Amino acid sequence: MTRRTAFAMTDPKLIRNFSIVAHIDHGKSTLADQFLLKTGAISERDFRAQTLDSMDLERERGITIRMHPVTIYYTYKGQKYELNLVDTPGHVDFSYEVSRSLAACEGAVLLVDSTQGVQAQTVANAYLAIENDLTIVPVLNKVDMTISRPDEVAGEMKSVLGIEPHEILKASGKTGAGVDELIQAVIDRIPPPPGDPNSPLKALIYNSHFDTYKGVVVYVRLMEGSIRKGQRIRLMRGGTEHEVLEVGQFRPAPTVCDELGTGQVGYFTAQIKNIADANIGDTVTDAHHPAAEPLAGYKVPKPMVFSGLYPTNNNDFEALREALGKLKLNDSSFVYQPEVSEGLGFGFRCGFLGMLHREVIQQRLERDSDLDLVQTAPNVTYEILNRKGETIAIDNPQKVPDAGQIEEFREPIVRVNFLVPSENIGDLMTMCHDRRGVFVRTEYLSQTRAILVFELPLAEIIYDLYDKLKSVTHGYGTMDYEVLGYRAADLVRLDVLVHHKRVDALSTIIHRSTAERRGRAMLKKLREEIDRHLFEIALQAAIGSRVVARENIAAMKKNVTAKCYGGDITRKRKLWAKQAAGKKRMKMVGQVELPQEAFLAVLETE
Amino acid sequence: MTDAPWLVPQAAYVHIPFCAHRCGYCDFAIVVGKDHLMVRYLDALEAELETLIQPRPVQTLFIGGGTPSHLPEAQLERLLRVLKRWFPLESDAEYSIEANPESLTADKIVLLAQHGVNRVSLGAQSFDPRSLAVLQRSHDPTTIATAVKCLSGSISQISIDLIFGVPGQTVAHWTDDLDRALNLGISHISTYGLTYEKGTSLWKQRRSGRLIPLTEDDELTLYQTAIERLTKASFTHYEISNFALEGRQSRHNQIYWANYAYYGIGLGAARYVGGVREVNTRDFDAYLAGRRSWQSEKLSPLDRARETMAVQLRRAEGIHRVFYRRQTGHDLDAVAPRLAALVDQGVLIDTSERVFLSANGKYVADAVIEKLL
Ligand SMILES: Nc1nc2c(ncn2[C@@H]2O[C@H](COP(=O)(O)OP(=O)(O)O)[C@@H](O)[C@H]2O)c(=O)[nH]1
Ligand code: SF4
Repeated sequence: MTRRTAFAMTDPKLIRNFSIVAHIDHGKSTLADQFLLKTGAISERDFRAQTLDSMDLERERGITIRMHPVTIYYTYKGQKYELNLVDTPGHVDFSYEVSRSLAACEGAVLLVDSTQGVQAQTVANAYLAIENDLTIVPVLNKVDMTISRPDEVAGEMKSVLGIEPHEILKASGKTGAGVDELIQAVIDRIPPPPGDPNSPLKALIYNSHFDTYKGVVVYVRLMEGSIRKGQRIRLMRGGTEHEVLEVGQFRPAPTVCDELGTGQVGYFTAQIKNIADANIGDTVTDAHHPAAEPLAGYKVPKPMVFSGLYPTNNNDFEALREALGKLKLNDSSFVYQPEVSEGLGFGFRCGFLGMLHREVIQQRLERDSDLDLVQTAPNVTYEILNRKGETIAIDNPQKVPDAGQIEEFREPIVRVNFLVPSENIGDLMTMCHDRRGVFVRTEYLSQTRAILVFELPLAEIIYDLYDKLKSVTHGYGTMDYEVLGYRAADLVRLDVLVHHKRVDALSTIIHRSTAERRGRAMLKKLREEIDRHLFEIALQAAIGSRVVARENIAAMKKNVTAKCYGGDITRKRKLWAKQAAGKKRMKMVGQVELPQEAFLAVLETE
Repeated sequence: MTDAPWLVPQAAYVHIPFCAHRCGYCDFAIVVGKDHLMVRYLDALEAELETLIQPRPVQTLFIGGGTPSHLPEAQLERLLRVLKRWFPLESDAEYSIEANPESLTADKIVLLAQHGVNRVSLGAQSFDPRSLAVLQRSHDPTTIATAVKCLSGSISQISIDLIFGVPGQTVAHWTDDLDRALNLGISHISTYGLTYEKGTSLWKQRRSGRLIPLTEDDELTLYQTAIERLTKASFTHYEISNFALEGRQSRHNQIYWANYAYYGIGLGAARYVGGVREVNTRDFDAYLAGRRSWQSEKLSPLDRARETMAVQLRRAEGIHRVFYRRQTGHDLDAVAPRLAALVDQGVLIDTSERVFLSANGKYVADAVIEKLL
């Protein structure tokens, strides 16, 4: 529903652009809803409904994936201010999106749950805000709760982030207490947007989504000049030109306006058909009076985790392509390209920002299409320096060249910040050393909690590190990571042969020292997952032609119902039908049926 | 073609649900402690027979249960009389009844013979008191021999059922069961592997861990023992669980395995008429009240072809390609594209005229069928 109102551009001095950053579950969504309520953008009834009803994928998982900016108005000391709240996602996988939002702001509300204290993402997000030169407005949330311990948490904020206790506000998203003071602090402390209204148009594209009717809806932050309906604009990096058809703001419903001025946040549409034409980070300028230089933009996030996606039924390949195309429309960070696997047939290699991103995409696919899919185990992107001196990116173990051609095999390394109870430091150290981690430092937040910094291969953390952390710390530990770059390591490709046939989708890149252990673990898992067949199945794990582990799945011995089922064949047939339906999810590799779970055997480590 | 045996029944099954007590493995449509309702049951049965509209001559008639021999003479006689009217026997027909050794009296045997019954299937299950106790069967094993002796004067074909795979059963116990069965001088033996059907007493005992089932390996050994022992005694292994002396195969069962049509009358009875499968209610009171409520299912020609393949494979003779085509309208190789692969794996034998399970294939028949479907 698009509303329409005519209104004048706002004087930049009366604009404040900010985000709320917080660790997951610290109450960001609830607080954002309070902002809308206090400023009259939503009614009390909507507030309840919004907080209670939004059971979509993102809410269910407690994460905000897509950013919806909201424009609200607040009268303070006789002036009416325009506040643009730019939402940020709350999970490690999406930290680059946080930077995107922050680039559209001058300040950030740093929200900390006063019952939980500082957590890994609190630290990570605070650093991002500092890097982006934002003014931080710190606030302790959930002070209505009896277990709230504001003084202690303020102490943590001081010791880790150098925030002075007297700067910290207190609020409750639940009761609304302290929210007015918080809004006023936003106005008082965060500077108004800079920029010259009379300069040529310069607007930062910080997000977009695809609308079936309007084409790409481009989210912009105006840095200089203004944008209006009918204007001819140019995307400076993309190089394409378009005519603006609609300009508006989210209040929170999309509301059409005549123009957006310097410092404002809003959207425009221009019948842009392809989301790739409106690159996030690109600069929008006037086609006739272009700006001299584009804005700095951002680093384009590189997908770090890859896995193959195959339809169980090869005829569904085109349907899968279509489904992936639809997903891509609204998620430019997701990439895919066709690939062929000997074992699995035609499918796609898909790239994700991280494991959560992968899971979210997979769930969307399953929800929106009813394709039966086989997903191969995830792997990270490696780099190989070959003998010719070329560096090649390896996003699929299949692409690893012969050992003779490899000069250097490199893997991505991340710096991981763990925030854990002090008593778990020992366990965590062991866990990280087992995963080839390099210790960087420990820092005590208080007597009972510490930050532990490790450098770890990304491959060692993508699968189950988060779960392991939670179990080692009884749920109290949190983590966050950033990619540091590539480092050489003694890496090899481990292949799996099922009944003497190499199953390419089961190949994996691992550190040589772990080959035997991993090989054994994988085969053991495969043995559990593959049903007995009518013949004995040989399983082998090998590096090149050297077999490092083997297992056998004995042939099925007896499977016959020597029962008198007389005339009642119906029941028996239903049983057959049920078993046949189960088969549909199986992939045939030679004469062997592999269930979906078998392809995840690669992840077994112990 | 309209009289094709897979469409128009030449066989009938009649169900008598009464039993003296319920065995531990039994999930058939039976009733215990309802003997006072036998007359009413026969009334309801007659009412159902009326729906046949006219007498239906058959080549095989099978009275099963439950325990048909548990009917007292008067009721048994009434049943036999009524059936004679509705299912007149063609010349040379096979007329079978299931019986328990302990309920079979000399007078009942005379009655059966008088009405043309020429085959009795005795539910012996085992000669080993320990196995019988696990199965919760009440009879004394010595009554089996007595029953066979009484029968042999007037009934030409006698079969007994044996169960293997009973927890605690060893190869020695089972060999002994087989030998005792062979010593009876009978012409047909069925060996059924014990299955734990949901809701039965044995199923509950297994679930709670009070009863430990035999391993797959042990079950296989017992099955192999049966095949070896009985074929050595000149019995043909003509179907997964059935053995017979030459010419003494159960013709009624062979109709099931051919996937031919049959009538089914009585509580929970299944029937297959004109390509439609139907099952009667298993609710005894509803049946007495005349509410038979058929649960009905019409299969597509392809599904019927698949089903025919599945059941015919259980026969030693397997599937005759030409007959199969005639019966189903489909080519076997088109219905089962993986057939050749399974021949390669050694579980099926293909003589081009016929396809049948190899010796090893018989042990994994269900898996083979599943792969073909
Ligand atoms: N008692 C109390 N609960 C709160 C407050 N703010 C949020 N919550 C609860 O904390 C949980 C997480 O809040 P949510 O806004 O979804 O967190 P987000 O993941 O940061 O967006 C929810 O169950 C909220 O109802 C608060 O101020 N007081
Ligand atoms: S005698 Fe047969 S029908 Fe009756 S309870 Fe025992 S197994 Fe079931």
